[in-house]
Amino acid sequence: MDAMERRVFLKRAGMGMLAFTVGGADVLMTPGAARAQGLPFRLLKAHEAETIEALGETLVPGAQRSGVAHFIDQQVSVSPGEALLEARQLNVKPPFINFYRAAIAAVDKAAEARSGRRFAALAAADQHAFVDAMRQNKIDGWQGPAGSFVYLVLRSDSIDVVYGTMEGYEALGVPYMPHIAPDRRW
Amino acid sequence: MATQEKVDVVIVGAGASGSVFAAVLAKAGKKVVVMDNGPDWHTSDLISSDIWGRRVKPAGAPFILEGKHPVSMGAQGGWGVGGAALHYFANFPRLLPNDFRIRSEHNRAHDWPISYEDVAPFYDKVAQEIGVSGDAAAEELWRPKGQRYPMPPMKTFRSGQVWLKGFAANGIRMVPAAVGMNSTEFKGRAACIYDGWCHVGCPIGALANPLVTYLADARKAGAEVRAWSTVTRVLTDTSGGKVTGVEYYDRNHEKQFQPANVVVLAAWAAQNPRLLLNSATDKHDKGLANRNGLVGKFIMTHFASGTNAMFDEDVENHMGTLGAQFMSYERYGKTAHKGAFGSTFIVAGSSTKLSGLGGIANARPDLFGAELQAFVKRAVKNLSRMNAFGEEQPKIENRLELASEKDEFGMPLGRIIHSYDDNDTALWNANFEEGLKIAKATDAKEVWQGRAVQPTIHLMGGTIMGTGAANSVVDSFGQTHEIANLYCAGPGTFATAGASNPTYTIFALSLRGAEHLAKNWSTVAG
Repeated sequence: MDAMERRVFLKRAGMGMLAFTVGGADVLMTPGAARAQGLPFRLLKAHEAETIEALGETLVPGAQRSGVAHFIDQQVSVSPGEALLEARQLNVKPPFINFYRAAIAAVDKAAEARSGRRFAALAAADQHAFVDAMRQNKIDGWQGPAGSFVYLVLRSDSIDVVYGTMEGYEALGVPYMPHIAPDRRW
Repeated sequence: MATQEKVDVVIVGAGASGSVFAAVLAKAGKKVVVMDNGPDWHTSDLISSDIWGRRVKPAGAPFILEGKHPVSMGAQGGWGVGGAALHYFANFPRLLPNDFRIRSEHNRAHDWPISYEDVAPFYDKVAQEIGVSGDAAAEELWRPKGQRYPMPPMKTFRSGQVWLKGFAANGIRMVPAAVGMNSTEFKGRAACIYDGWCHVGCPIGALANPLVTYLADARKAGAEVRAWSTVTRVLTDTSGGKVTGVEYYDRNHEKQFQPANVVVLAAWAAQNPRLLLNSATDKHDKGLANRNGLVGKFIMTHFASGTNAMFDEDVENHMGTLGAQFMSYERYGKTAHKGAFGSTFIVAGSSTKLSGLGGIANARPDLFGAELQAFVKRAVKNLSRMNAFGEEQPKIENRLELASEKDEFGMPLGRIIHSYDDNDTALWNANFEEGLKIAKATDAKEVWQGRAVQPTIHLMGGTIMGTGAANSVVDSFGQTHEIANLYCAGPGTFATAGASNPTYTIFALSLRGAEHLAKNWSTVAG
């Protein structure tokens, strides 16, 4: 990366921006803005994104509006070396989309077996009860990555979009304290 | 396969150990190439964000992780120039004299082929060269006298101070933590600004990562750092008696040969043995330096027993340093805990950011939804944590071997099998019990611990040092017993794990090994 590219990249990174595709061109924006603009998903199918949003919102209130599905979708579309997903630290084997697909399928299959409906269609209280059982690996007939691991990864993704950005710190009144403020350095 | 111009030494890995070898040998006038399989990171890439900080860690490292306690490759490893030392916490405790003679004193594990006194001058030298802040005199409660650190201790914050009462009540003396950070400006590098983002890399150079210390020195002295270069084999001459260089794949996935008089493997405790095993020839049918079958054996990690506490006051956990403000060797004796053998190193006081595996939201991993929201709101002001790190005893069954599956370069993946035994778990639990007592003697209003999974922190062993080929892979300088011009550097050479964070010792042992190599160059390089 040359110096100019690096400065622009880092400034946007500090603000929680990622490259999303708008009209065939890459545009930098936050996952929340991508969701608000209704940008199409790169790899996730509509029902997969719906499950991620519902799961994310159950795990961390605010995750849906913060664009958790757009975040994951954008992240699984870039090379593993560029990805910022917690899955990377948790030894998930790339391509990361495979893990998310398997996790979503496991959640929806189990939800249908329990309640006859996909996870996103459950009432909020039922979603909460489902996640509580999933995190403890207490769902009978579960097929896919361990429920506790699905919980850990999706919960981390949701924490990232809600709390992990400068905006998230600001909302909690916590000084973000970057080493050197982005506007001065970048 | 294209052949590059011959160099004096090729160093595989641009992390803590590789950077030291590169600096010493380049300054000695040797032509040095350092290879690294990842990007050529600059300090300006190290942005203050837990999320973006993950880029300097491996994504899909070429290892299959097995055993009851699989090693934490993704979180602990490094990717790219600087290695894992780009995101380390820079806690700089040292090994103590008792670490070097466990076999002699307790008839367990291994003795090192050297003593504390052999390494101590290099701890002192590293401190002067790259900068350590702390109070050496205070540490001498537990260790022999040495030089003073070049900088006074770092500032402390309420997140650390709130624990002192609990330690005192339990007879545990705490001293200022020794850290590889600048409490004052040091050799033109800035002083720390206590923003608490140490774990994602320090862009101002206040933390002694390789980019601003030994690797910078190496580059200045003419060493070439070749990023995006993945070494797959060490090659030998027809007699098998000498190594001739390394085979690697460049950024375009073109196969290259880099001839060299000396090869130093400095690619961390997992990749070094993988490379040795993958370099088998008819003269070395089990892999290089592996006639005794010990390459890949005795993989070791540390386990932390963390105690969380919620205080009424604002403990300012958003700032400070991520490693530790206070430390203690009070439980470092191998038999300090009844019924659990091994050393314990205790720390307290660290910044805690919101996201990430060690972040605030993960301090209660069981909570989600509205409960998590409420917890985070309180914890951002009131949460603090202390940690006790335990020493795993070496076990030959904890090992790396080659798997049948291959990576993108056709190199077999490494399979790392790692499990703790009952003694390790007993020490982990003993440290939890003590942590609880300490926390209850503070003003904390709530205290809790997460005991679900015994963690695997740091990575050591796999190419351990010893007195000869009967018990080890390398000597105390990192030279393999089998091939004189082949070296291994880094935590893989540790004969036992101790309980201290390993990087200070990695720097010290590498400096000792590199200086010895430079002095004996003509004998080694022939």
